[in-house]
Amino acid sequence: MLDHILSILIFFPALAGIFGFVIQKDSIRAYGIAVSAIEFALALWLWFAFDSSVSGMQFMEQIALIPAFGINYILGVDGISLFIIILASFFTLIGIASLGETKDEKNMIITLLFLQMTMIGVFVALDAIVFYVFWELSLVPMLYIIGAWGGPLRVYASVKFFLYTFTGSLIMLVGMLFMAYFYYQATGTWSFAILDWYRLILPESFQLWLFVAFFFGFAIKVPMFPFHTWLPYAHGQAPTIGSVILAAILLKMGTYAFIRFSLPLFPDASVFYMFPIAVLAIIMIIYTAMVAYAQKDIKQVVAYSSVSHMGVIILGTFALNVEGISGSIFLMIGHGVVSGALFLLVGVIYDRRHTKMMSEFGGLAHVMPRYATLFGIMMMASVGMPLTINFVGEFLSLLGFYEQSHILTLLAGIAIIVGAIYMLAAYKKMFFGTVTNEANKNLPDVNKRELVALIPLVLITIWLGVYPKPLLEPINNSVEAIVQLMHDKSITEEAKSRIPNLMSDIEITRTSMQEVH
Amino acid sequence: MMEIGLNHYLVLSTILFSIGLVGVMRRKNLLMLFFATEILLNAVNIAFAAISHFYGDLTGQMFAFFVIAIAASEVAVGLGLLIVWHKRHGNIDLEHMSTMRG
Amino acid sequence: MELYLYIALFSPLVGSMFAALFAASPKTSIAGIVPSFLLFVSFVASTILLVNILSGGDVVHVEMMTWMATGNLYIPFGFVVDQVSVTMMMVVTVVSTVVHVYSIGYMDHDKSFNRFFAWLSAFVFSMLVLVMSDNFAGLFIGWEGVGLCSWGLIGFWYHKESATWAANEAFIMNRIADLGMLIGLFLVYWNTGTLQYDEAFAAMPALAPEVLTWMGIFLFIGAMGKSAQFPLHTWLADAMEGPTPVSALIHAATMVTAGVYLVVRANPLYELIPHVGLFIASLGAFVALFAASMALVNRDMKRIIAYSTLSQLGYMFVAAGLGAYWVALFHLMAHAFFKALLFLGAGNVMHAMHDELDPFKMGGLKKPLKWTFIMMTVASVALAGIYPLAGFFSKDLILEVSLIEHHYIIYSVLLFTAGLTAFYSFRLVALIFHGEERYKIFGIHPHEAYKFVLIAMSPLLLLAVIAGSFKMTYFEMVTAVLPATEYHVHSVMMYWIMTIGTQLFVLLAIAFAYKKYANNAIAIPDGSSKMENRLCYKILKNQYYIPYAYEEYFVKPYRELSDVFWKHIDMKIVDASVDGIANIFYSTGEKTRTMQSGNLSTMLKWMVAGTVALLSLAVVYGLAVRYSDEIMLILSGLGVQ
Repeated sequence: MLDHILSILIFFPALAGIFGFVIQKDSIRAYGIAVSAIEFALALWLWFAFDSSVSGMQFMEQIALIPAFGINYILGVDGISLFIIILASFFTLIGIASLGETKDEKNMIITLLFLQMTMIGVFVALDAIVFYVFWELSLVPMLYIIGAWGGPLRVYASVKFFLYTFTGSLIMLVGMLFMAYFYYQATGTWSFAILDWYRLILPESFQLWLFVAFFFGFAIKVPMFPFHTWLPYAHGQAPTIGSVILAAILLKMGTYAFIRFSLPLFPDASVFYMFPIAVLAIIMIIYTAMVAYAQKDIKQVVAYSSVSHMGVIILGTFALNVEGISGSIFLMIGHGVVSGALFLLVGVIYDRRHTKMMSEFGGLAHVMPRYATLFGIMMMASVGMPLTINFVGEFLSLLGFYEQSHILTLLAGIAIIVGAIYMLAAYKKMFFGTVTNEANKNLPDVNKRELVALIPLVLITIWLGVYPKPLLEPINNSVEAIVQLMHDKSITEEAKSRIPNLMSDIEITRTSMQEVH
Repeated sequence: MMEIGLNHYLVLSTILFSIGLVGVMRRKNLLMLFFATEILLNAVNIAFAAISHFYGDLTGQMFAFFVIAIAASEVAVGLGLLIVWHKRHGNIDLEHMSTMRG
Repeated sequence: MELYLYIALFSPLVGSMFAALFAASPKTSIAGIVPSFLLFVSFVASTILLVNILSGGDVVHVEMMTWMATGNLYIPFGFVVDQVSVTMMMVVTVVSTVVHVYSIGYMDHDKSFNRFFAWLSAFVFSMLVLVMSDNFAGLFIGWEGVGLCSWGLIGFWYHKESATWAANEAFIMNRIADLGMLIGLFLVYWNTGTLQYDEAFAAMPALAPEVLTWMGIFLFIGAMGKSAQFPLHTWLADAMEGPTPVSALIHAATMVTAGVYLVVRANPLYELIPHVGLFIASLGAFVALFAASMALVNRDMKRIIAYSTLSQLGYMFVAAGLGAYWVALFHLMAHAFFKALLFLGAGNVMHAMHDELDPFKMGGLKKPLKWTFIMMTVASVALAGIYPLAGFFSKDLILEVSLIEHHYIIYSVLLFTAGLTAFYSFRLVALIFHGEERYKIFGIHPHEAYKFVLIAMSPLLLLAVIAGSFKMTYFEMVTAVLPATEYHVHSVMMYWIMTIGTQLFVLLAIAFAYKKYANNAIAIPDGSSKMENRLCYKILKNQYYIPYAYEEYFVKPYRELSDVFWKHIDMKIVDASVDGIANIFYSTGEKTRTMQSGNLSTMLKWMVAGTVALLSLAVVYGLAVRYSDEIMLILSGLGVQ
């Protein structure tokens, strides 16, 4: 069974989803929880069976699909994707478990199971076409969730979400086709396998163009400034569960793809575009943090804060050293947990008051102390308090990028200031002061169903903040392999010097650096 | 007396085709439109037959027969529809047929 | 010994979690007693560690577990109890034990009693992490942890707008400094390859001076935030919105001294860059004077003490900046004792006066609050630096240091500030405890605090009196790790002139304060007197207009800019251009759909037009291919490549 665990992970929820159509309405919730719990257990089993000391792909599966064009069904998992897969199955589980009163509950749960299939497919696919198929398929359930269960502007938001990301993906597809064509020209055989592509050394001019093509697909998904405007609409209109999955997992596809495709395929282009992208990332961090501060709707604050944090992830990715990339992968997990939890928390108050306007609240700490505590913990995690999960990622990302540029890191570090400003201001508006609004006087505190979803997230936030080693170790091993690959593949002098060579004796380089000083 | 060659047939075919094309574009009467279509098809048939003869290959002529057969059945169906239309609306003027507006 | 280290470190955490269990339930005194007891345990463990160090035992150094490890980076949770950190541990545990017990009485009637202890013990834990860590990252954990707890405790009474505002201000301002600190850490890591103190400091002498200078500057920016040095000082006075025990523990004795601790801890770095040290000392001297001047006219009891704390922090930075690290640490310790005492006394007064903070509305309280009166007077005497109390030994030493190091400007500033300190301290004492009983018109009947509260305060009273006598023992202990420079004025004559001169000056200032404020007929400032209309008085009263300027030139523009970014740039430019592109497609479709008129003949016309267009394209392409050579020839003739 372990040999095919990745296929099982992908298709089990989908089959269960199809089977879900014949389940009675009353028991669909229990069914959904059971399916996603099994899926989560499988993901944990995968982690358990995963060998952390191996840097390459594990549990590889290969089935020929169109051998003439080198399109094959290839799956595999390494330290980079492993934890995002676990996170995806985990969030589907708590998403279904914490699902509030929803119309068409059955359809929602089936949609979520299909969404889970596409999410896991994206992170385990090792063939560009399979990757692309899952990448695009993931739009459909999300479109449906926003469009069917969303707020008043749901159609606009969902169409915008779909078309915007779809446009980017098409440009990415063109890039993929070119990449395969170049591979064909170089080797005489067609292949869409990513691991084959890794071995291909492209001339720098090709790299620059292909990097841009891939960049559009990924950047819109992340979303990077200035392609971010679909996100506030999507979050603003999506139901709680949609926002949670969107923020926790779907956005990570973009940053994950940067690490899976852009960096190892185009090391020279990555170095070439490092500073422009870093500048974009810094604009993203500061600008969206300020926009978040101006928001009146708490959900929009969290949505824009997502964009701001994604900026730090991008920055860490383009640090192009082990510290930075490991940090950015860890921050993907961290941001997934924290922003997912924040969206759940916003959902809690939305369920009670059916408004997300901060001006409607105030003094909630009096009436809902437990809610205020949970929100406070997650807010502090979002702000990047040490010993919470986000700090580890942010610290490593910024630390990594510091090697590349001091000034830009200083600017990016403003994240920790502006992040505190909008989060504390929002918290103050919602929870502090006296209860002025009559409607808030008798709000019930967080109930059991909500606690079931939130407590695990709080525990993970603190556990991984105190003891990130179980994640960092496998991540580190895989990242080291990628960085080494990039160093070996790079052609230009600048890339060779920017991307560290891990094989050489580290101590020697350090002392020689000191001598230069 | 000038030898009549392939070019002459092709010129004839082109002239017929142009006439048919103008007919298709200008005629407002559906029946006339059918006539124009027939002219178009026959222009093609002439070209087929001439080229077939020129190459000594029968495929073109065979194709022309197919075209004739299909044109005949098309006209049969088309006329049937036309009669139904006329019965229902009292005219066969193209200007009044715009239910397919986008 | 490792066991004692863990006990000292983790018992406050256990206490905090215990109290947090009851956070949502109504007041239970056990939620206060258990954390207090656990803190006492922590204090005992710290004492054992101190005795161990004093009796020549080894430095206790443990590595609990790995925290982060990736690439070359390796950060453990490592803790070290050496001479410096054990001093800080003693200060922290003594003061916090006292404050905890005191708070049981002080917070007696507060409905969030349990929550208070959860936060307070969590603070002590963070502070202990800060001082005990053996690496910069661990220091940063504690650094942010104390900031978090400070946020929670300043905003403890979260129904008050001013309290939550002050909490956010403190947090954000500290964050600004933390960015500097973070950059400092990055510099240390990328230049020395490690964040462990011993390894990093060992590697530093080999680094280029400018790298070290930047390192020193960025780390000091971090220290400036926590220790509220100019220009990041405004949060400290506003932080007085928190409950008074919090002010005593966090904003007087422990957290605000973290910056000084950092400079002391990083002494091998600052030894290498004396110019940065001089800057630190100059800033310290400036802040000492600057803060003291604001304390002169303030009418808020707690703010006066807060400014005095700020001023004393300036003294500590002078000592640390001039390389007299052990002197800085010594003053830190002595200051913690008498300043905590002063704050707790102020807490008693506040309780008696129903949270009144204006000393002009008090007066004559020495009768009802006899013990508080004694304690606050002793603390003020210690603060003023009168022989033989603690302040004399530590503060005069800083004056001597600046003189011996030939920084005469700093010396004279500090000397003058010493006079101001004595004046405002006794202005406060005089206004509260002497003179007419002005509170009577408000119908208040002041009561002395609970007995156990007073008993809890007594260790601080004792320490404020005798701390000076530890000087030699202390010197011998800490100089094992800090530079052992003894500061003696060379001629005996000079020494006596200096000491007696300073003492006389200070006494004079005290006498002046008493004369002006201890009589029955003092002028209550109401905006009418001549002095109040002077420019300098107004400047001082408005804190040099700095909070106003921050509000006007930073906070407001930030808010407005955010609004512009959202409403104009994000919505009107970025998003609108995306929608614009979509709209182009949409309107193109909208326009071209008229082609599908449904009219067969028009549609046929379009079809023919399309066929003709395609055919002609094919013909043109075919011709172009056929005559490509000629075309290239013509083009090259035209100069087109």
